[in-house]
Amino acid sequence: MISIYLRKINIWYLSSFLISIAVAIPIVTVFSSFFDSTSNYSDIIKNTFLYDYLINSFSLLIGVLFLTFIIGVSSAYLVSFYKFTGSNFFKWALILSFAVPAYIYAYSLTAFFENYGTAFTILKNLFGEGDYNSKIPKFDGMIGAIVAISFSLFGYVYVLTRASFHYQSQNLIELGKNLGFSKQKSFFKIILPSARPAIVAGLSLVAMETLSDFGSVSFFGISTLTTGIYNAWISFDDLTLANQLSFYLLIFILGLFVLENLSRKKAQYHSPTRGGFKKKSLTTLHGYKGLLAFSFCFLIFFISFLFPVLQMLYWTIIFPKHLIDLDLINLFSNTIILVLLSSIVLISFAFISNYGNRLSRSKFLEILTTFSISGYAIPGIILAVAFITFISWFDKNIVSFFDIKNIKPIFIGSILGLVIVYFIRFYSLASNGIKSGYLKISYSIDESAYLLGYSKFKTFKNIHIPYLKNSILLIGILISIEIIKELPITLIMRPFNFETFATQAYIYASQDLLEAAAAPSLFLILIASFFILITSRYILKD
Amino acid sequence: MRLIIIRIENNSQSQIKMGKKRNKLKKITIYTIFLTFFANLSFGAEVNVFSARHYDSDIQLYKKFTKKTGIKVNVVSGKDKALQKRIMEEGEDSSADIYITADAGRLGAFDAKGMFQNSMTSAIKEAVPKNFRSTNWTGIAKRARIMYYSPERVNTNELNGMTYEGLADPKWKGRIVIRKSNNIYNQSLVASLVKNNGKKSTCEWSKGVVANMARDSKGNDRAQILAVAAGEADLAVANTYYLALMLSGQKGAEQQAAAKKVLPFFPNQDDRGTHMNISGGGVLRHAPNPENAKKLLEFLLTKEAQEHIVNNTFEYPMIEGVEPHDLVKQMGIGFKQDLNTKVVNYEKNQSIALECMLSARWK
Repeated sequence: MISIYLRKINIWYLSSFLISIAVAIPIVTVFSSFFDSTSNYSDIIKNTFLYDYLINSFSLLIGVLFLTFIIGVSSAYLVSFYKFTGSNFFKWALILSFAVPAYIYAYSLTAFFENYGTAFTILKNLFGEGDYNSKIPKFDGMIGAIVAISFSLFGYVYVLTRASFHYQSQNLIELGKNLGFSKQKSFFKIILPSARPAIVAGLSLVAMETLSDFGSVSFFGISTLTTGIYNAWISFDDLTLANQLSFYLLIFILGLFVLENLSRKKAQYHSPTRGGFKKKSLTTLHGYKGLLAFSFCFLIFFISFLFPVLQMLYWTIIFPKHLIDLDLINLFSNTIILVLLSSIVLISFAFISNYGNRLSRSKFLEILTTFSISGYAIPGIILAVAFITFISWFDKNIVSFFDIKNIKPIFIGSILGLVIVYFIRFYSLASNGIKSGYLKISYSIDESAYLLGYSKFKTFKNIHIPYLKNSILLIGILISIEIIKELPITLIMRPFNFETFATQAYIYASQDLLEAAAAPSLFLILIASFFILITSRYILKD
Repeated sequence: MRLIIIRIENNSQSQIKMGKKRNKLKKITIYTIFLTFFANLSFGAEVNVFSARHYDSDIQLYKKFTKKTGIKVNVVSGKDKALQKRIMEEGEDSSADIYITADAGRLGAFDAKGMFQNSMTSAIKEAVPKNFRSTNWTGIAKRARIMYYSPERVNTNELNGMTYEGLADPKWKGRIVIRKSNNIYNQSLVASLVKNNGKKSTCEWSKGVVANMARDSKGNDRAQILAVAAGEADLAVANTYYLALMLSGQKGAEQQAAAKKVLPFFPNQDDRGTHMNISGGGVLRHAPNPENAKKLLEFLLTKEAQEHIVNNTFEYPMIEGVEPHDLVKQMGIGFKQDLNTKVVNYEKNQSIALECMLSARWK
């Protein structure tokens, strides 16, 4: 019996095991301090703030879910069922919103709508001097955060819903017609319900990102659970309370995580690609209907992408000094180094771990892997601080025991540390990608290779890697987009004299120098857009 | 972007093709990794600055310092508390030499945690008035937290003898804008009121101020001034350098014009004087290069550096013999500063101040 287990343990198994442990560390750190006692501050927080945190997080969530649902589903419906001017363009143009992080969207909103902002200038130039400030709506505080987060995240709902609509059987729709359903009725009784799992999956991704958002809520000064954790941890030194708040947040987020996974499984189940699938005939919209559909999609495209880009561009042009001051070469090379190193490390380890799983076919390992990929659901800010806490603990209790020189400088404030925390955060992205690629390679291929005398390593190197080349490339690009946009981890973990476009923009913005934040924001959006365009055909694969 | 992964299930067409290209790539990768890890190791004299002030002009100033002394300045900038946290977590192994931030209360609080060491040199003692330094840290530049009013809607009689205490006067009902209670400048201002008037009176005062607000607190200092310019409120509380910044045109023509619609007012001229605050720094307890750090502090207090600071950030100089920027002078320089309430003591009363503001539902 034991020998069976021992035989299973090999280098692949071991490394796979280690990776899962490493990724699980921050989660364990957070959970382990849940039962520690808290300081005085936590009593104050419990009495005054906790209620506010919960209410604010909840209102934010409801607002964002509502808005992303409306925008995401309606735009997906239009481009999936109708043909109108620009409908093919909007199919991919709408996913460009992924390139605009919520915090940059927040800067744009403020810049445009504030007293004497861009909106004021436009009105003044059109109609001459006047008292416009009081007439311009103000998008700040909670409303601002809801708008900023919604327009930067609705893409999740859009992409998933569109895919679901796309695979919806024409027969189903014709059935509706035969039953004499009106367009409206068949939308609400057939189309929408059968896309429900996809919509729920999209919304739960939106919910996870919303709950872990830090940049835009802190910019608008809203106290949510995330900023509460940040304050407890960083301002009041109450690690325990921070961990307890994180614990609540994690429970909430893990719930969504499970929901999303379940819905996704259902979504696959509900897409009958075999048998009954008939290619849908798109209805062509003419006249005012076509114009209406075009205007709606254009409006969403404009608000979600063109608006922040134009605002940032406008500022870069009228304040050229800040662009000249920007150390572009450094920012580019820093960003590229981070992107390259992280993608290489993430992809290689995801490969090794997945291969280990494949070899051992161990249930335990699979559960461990599932556990470790939940790093994605944990707000970056929690990960970074948990990592620092863990390293200090490790340094104090274990390393010092062996009388080795301290290890902190190696991990804190170094590229290495930064890459490790990115690793924890984005491991699920890499792992899931490789995993879904592996699902396509039949076990019998491996077995044939072994029969032909290939070693495990040779099978891995000569068969799996070439087979999965395209997914590797795609995952690399997706990781890159995430890392370019990433803010809280980079902010806390980066070394001396090290800025990325994201940190540069944030630092200017937090110093009330929004116009200086425009140029780095613009570059960030452009680079991310470029990557998104490269991958768009995969994202929208029909 | 996780969802996209589910859709990459069709990558199967790759051929098994091994090539030299891959080996080349490997080499490049290894080089990159090596370079990255060692690029940050530098040799020679240096000083490591953790700064919560992110002005480009500060960076230029550090470059001047390096030119003069040959000491390289490394900077990590970031949010105030996050930097403090990192310094504390790193403990004895911290590479940080100096911590620079705005607000005396913050410096005091960090000092109370034992994170600074004696930063004084005779040059610093001589340059900086006693009120604006402790033994472990020193002010580098000054700012005042003052009032801004609309001359159209507020007549000078109303402002006659106006004090911070007067912000709670019911005659200002619905006319005042001021930042949130979590803002550190507000906490220091209210801390000075606690020091002068006691906790009970300050808590009452907070309620009065909240009742007088034209809207729920939001936005930064500049947004308060703009709210007065736009007619949303009649009176704003904000730091001095913001108006000068707008008047300079660095925030665009629109805000320059808007800034001209408000006038500054220096409160409490008939009693203790206007509330002053500093940006400053100190040498950290575990600094690996304490001597270089002191040299940098001394440099920041030289005439050359002070002139650079006041002309870029519109703060008041810390030392004698340096003039503020012209736009700041226009706002008034002969005003009475509150030198009785020591900035060193802001820290002690900040938490009481916050408690008062929060219990008054000051957002």
